[in-house]
Parts: sequence; C-alpha cells; structure tokens
Amino acid sequence: MKKYERITAIITSLGGVWIMVYAWRTLKLGSIHIPDAGLLPFLCGVGLAILGIVWLLVLQQTKGEDKGVEEKRIWYRPVISLILMVIYGWAMESVGYITSTLLFVIAWQKVIEREKWLKTMIISLLGTFAMYALFVYLLKVPIPPEFFAR
Amino acid sequence: MDIFAGLINGFSIALTGTNILFCFLGAVIGTAIGVLPGLGPAATIALLLPLTYVIGSPVTAIIMMAGIYYGAMYGGSTTSILLNLPGEAASVVTCIDGYQMARKGRAGAALGIAAIGSFIAGTVAVVGLTFFAPPLAEFALDFGPPEYFALTTLGLLLAVTLSGGSIIKGLIILFVGLLLAMVGLDPISGKIRFTFGSIVLQGGFDFVTLAMGVFGLGEILYNLESTLKTEIVTTKLGKVFPTLKDWADSKWAIFRGSVIGFFIGIIPGGAAVISSLASYAIEKKYSKHPEEFGHGAIQGVAGPESANNAASSSSFIPLLTLGIPGNAAIAMIFAALMIQGITPGPFLVAEHPDVFWGVIASMYIGNAMLLVLNLPMVGLWVQMLRVPYGILAPIIVLFTTIGVYSVQNQVFDIYSMLFFAALGYGMRKLNFDPAPLPLAFVLGPMVERSLRQSLLISGGDLTIFVTRPISGTLIAVFVLLIVGQTAFFIKRKMGGKKPPAT
Repeated sequence: MKKYERITAIITSLGGVWIMVYAWRTLKLGSIHIPDAGLLPFLCGVGLAILGIVWLLVLQQTKGEDKGVEEKRIWYRPVISLILMVIYGWAMESVGYITSTLLFVIAWQKVIEREKWLKTMIISLLGTFAMYALFVYLLKVPIPPEFFAR
Repeated sequence: MDIFAGLINGFSIALTGTNILFCFLGAVIGTAIGVLPGLGPAATIALLLPLTYVIGSPVTAIIMMAGIYYGAMYGGSTTSILLNLPGEAASVVTCIDGYQMARKGRAGAALGIAAIGSFIAGTVAVVGLTFFAPPLAEFALDFGPPEYFALTTLGLLLAVTLSGGSIIKGLIILFVGLLLAMVGLDPISGKIRFTFGSIVLQGGFDFVTLAMGVFGLGEILYNLESTLKTEIVTTKLGKVFPTLKDWADSKWAIFRGSVIGFFIGIIPGGAAVISSLASYAIEKKYSKHPEEFGHGAIQGVAGPESANNAASSSSFIPLLTLGIPGNAAIAMIFAALMIQGITPGPFLVAEHPDVFWGVIASMYIGNAMLLVLNLPMVGLWVQMLRVPYGILAPIIVLFTTIGVYSVQNQVFDIYSMLFFAALGYGMRKLNFDPAPLPLAFVLGPMVERSLRQSLLISGGDLTIFVTRPISGTLIAVFVLLIVGQTAFFIKRKMGGKKPPAT
C-alpha cells in the first residue's frame, strides 16, 4: 500500500510542476493588477507540487506501518468491469442501445458474477426492458438507434 | 415577503399533487439507499441528476433531491441496528449501542427511537432553517468578490479539515477538483485551458459525468473488489414504538442531538458524520450511567440519529443563503439547481421564492412522510437487504450510462464518466476521501472569478481581502485554521506519535 502511495505522491508532485510550467508558459500568469488565465492553475500546481513532497516525507517517516491491503480483495473484477463499460460505451453508438445493453448485462452476469445462463438471461432481458421503458417511454430520452434499423 | 408569508407560500407549492409525489419518491429512494450499504446519498443524487433535465420544475427536482438526502439519514440506522453494518457513514456510531440493543431483543425500540428522534430533530432543524436562512441571505447581499473569495476558500478548507481523513490527501483532492473545473474556456480571458486540442473539452467537464463517475460508478467498482454478500436479517424486531421509559431516557438526548446537529450542519464539511460523533461523545460524557454506553444505551442511538438528521437539514442553510455547498450530497443539489438555471445564493430568496420556500416547506412534509415510512414499514425495508449486489450493480451501471448519455446525447460523456469512475476507484483504493472533489469542482469557478475580480477592483492590492470586515474575519479564521492544523501536526511529529493519517 505504502509503495503505491509513494508512487502517487511522486506523480502528484511531478504533475504539480508540469501544471506550473503549463500555466506559466502557455496560459500566462498576467500581473497582480490584471491576472491572466494561468494564475489559479499556477497556484494549484504549486500546491500539488508541495503537497506531493510533504506526503512523501510523511511516508518516509512512518516506518513499519505497511500492513498492506486489510482484507482479501479481488482486483480483477473492477478492472474487467471497467473494460466492459468502455466496450459498452463504444457499442452503444455502433450497434444501438438495446442490443448493446442486452449484450453488456449478459457479459456482466457471466464474466463478473459467473451466473448460470437461465438467471443471466432473465436478468439481462428484464434489465434491458426496464431501462428502455423508463428512459425511452417514460422520460423520452433519445437513444442511439439499432444497427439493423438505420 | 416575511417569513410566515413565505412559509405559507412554500406550503401552497409543496402541497401540490406533483410535489407531494416527488417528495414521497425522494423519501422512499432516500430510505432505500440509506438501508442499502455501499450506496450513499451523494452517489444516488449524482445518479439521478440527469432526471432533473426531464423534471421540468426546479422546485419539484430539488424537493426530490432533498428528500433523498435527509431520507438516507433515516434509513442509515436500520442496518446499523440490525446488522452492525452502517448503511451510511453518519450511522457508524449508531452501531455501537443500536446493535447491542438488537442483541438484547430491543431492535424495535432502537429503530423506533431512531425514527422518532430523526423526525423531531429534522423538524427542529427545518424550523431553524426557516427562521435562520432569510436573515442570513439578507446579510449576504452585502458580499462582494473579496467576501466570496474568503468564504469559498474557507469553506473548502473546512470541508477538508473536518472530513476526518488525511488533510494532505484532502488538499490534493481539493486542488485536483479546482483544476478539473478549469478545463475549457476561461470565462474572463476566453483562453482555452487543459483541452489538449479536444473540441468537446472546450465546454469543460460536465458536473453530472464527474459526480456519476466518482460517486456512482467509483463506488460500484470499489465494492466489486469485495465479495459483498447479502446478510440475512434474523433479528426479531419486536415493538417499534418506544415505551414511556425509553422516551424518558432519550428525550434530552434527542433535544441535545437536534441542537448539536443543527449548528454543526451549518459548518461546511461538518454535516452528518461529525454531528453524530459529537452527539455520542456528549451523551456519554453527561450520562449518569456512562458505563451503559457500548452495551445498549438508548441515548447512544437517540442522540446521534437526531444529530445526523438535524445536520442534514441545516446543511441547506449555506447552500440556500450563500450558495456554498458544505458536503458532497449538497454539492449535487447545488448542481441540480444550476442545471435548472438557478444560482443558489443570497438572491435565491428574492428571485426564486418558490424554490426557496417550496423546498423548506417540503422538508416538514418529507419528515412526516419519513416517520410513517420508517416506523410501521421498517420490516419492508429490511427485506430490501435481500437484493443481491450482483443484480444491483449492473442496473446502476445501466442507469448511469444512459443517464449521462441523455444529458447531451454524446458518447464522449460516457467516456469522461468512465475516466472519473477510474479516478474515484483509485481514490478509494488509496484512502482518499472523494468528498472535497465535487465541492472544489462546483466552487472552483466562484473561487477563480472572485479572486481575479478582487484583484482587478483593488488594482492588485492584496490587502483588499483583509481590510474589509467580513472578508478580513473569514481570512483570519482561515489563517488560524492553517496555523492550528500545522501546529497540531508538528506537535504530534515532535511527540513521536504517528500522524492520524497520511
């Protein structure tokens, strides 16, 4: 855990420095009389750079407290879900809302939840129907059309 | 319009069929998400933000959002008492004595006193809001850019220091939130910032995508890491109406909790969690039998539950009068108002009295609804805990995806929401409290505008922030807070003790 925190602290500091340079050179700071678009970003960059260093120093001083992750957690489930969601976003425009939603829920139930086919199909069909009824019929939200109906 | 005339006008608005329906909907959704662990009011309001585009009336939309927020405080106690699992962060302290009462067969009494205490405190706080908010709004009419700069920066700093987490991490999130708010066109100079050539980013990030990503999906992704199993409630509820002795034991705890919660709720960052902790500490300190605390003392349930409800209602005061959201859930309501084209602040009461008084009046009605929803129907809410997370999670994903798409009908918003979801997940993994992020995001433009306007007005003279009485006082508090926190931090380090959190 501490290792990841150290990496994040370094990224925070470096990010802060980059923002300072970007604000100073590209956005321009202006003067104290007429501040320009880069003033507040520059100040935020300074803040991040300093906080990253302070965090790193605090981490250096707190020895022997790396207990690691407190409980057994399954890291791949959120990663796979995020990938599925990205694909879903892409598919929504490519194949249409209904098809992509149905396929997404099937994939979620099979890959993430490892459900049986019958339960998967019931949840997928009901979920897709409920969302369609709520957003399209009730709330009149325009959705991407199906690929076969274009 | 005086207070009573305003309130009567508010009731005439809140008591229309549509508003009663949406108030009820808000109360039901709020109780439901309060009962369900793993989904908070901020996340739920974020998920429902796109609906505000569809609900035409701003009063109706805000009545529902407010109902969700204070409804969640009612529902949060249920799992704390029955399962020793807080449905809400504000109900953590209720677990201590509430669960012990349940183990002794007094779950019904604990749930009953929590609901009644919540009702009384919620109503007391709304009465306070009714009489406190209009004069504060009038006072805030004198605020200029320096006052707003001092107020927003102090509010943000308080939100970080009072959140209870690491101050370093809180400040980092604060700066990240401010920077995210700067993406797009600079409103004063017209320069394009942090867009990296993207045309869609020129309009900046939409608050809905940020809120839904960090709070809605971020929470889902984090919960997916653990195999969250639905616990079956086996505890017998018994009678949910407290006995006369229960009432006698807890009446002062409810009263104190209401007052503590009301005042803590006004402070940005204070709100429900701190007020419930403060109330518990005070009840234990002033109890004739402090040894009973931790073993099922009814005051340990009545006080904190009253406090968190009072705080949730009074946290509307800075929003409605100053336009400053004090916590993440209130920031979502701030965004909902902005979506409806209404800027919360001192002019709200004069320009949109229907929203101001309508929402306040609806809180009286909502509190009464919640009492009915939570006392006789508590068994029904307990049944909801049987819904498997495996079904709930993909439904929320579908809801957020189509919800965020519906805002501007562009897939880019889905991708930016997923970016924020990954950010929210990473923040939770590294123990960052995400609450300051939406606050900084919504207050960012106000901070920047007021800073630059102040410098333009004063011709670059920085003393403008300290020479005016209101901004000077606020800046003094700001400096005292920083000096105090730094001294506390150094003292801890010099004493060889580890800091509370990094």
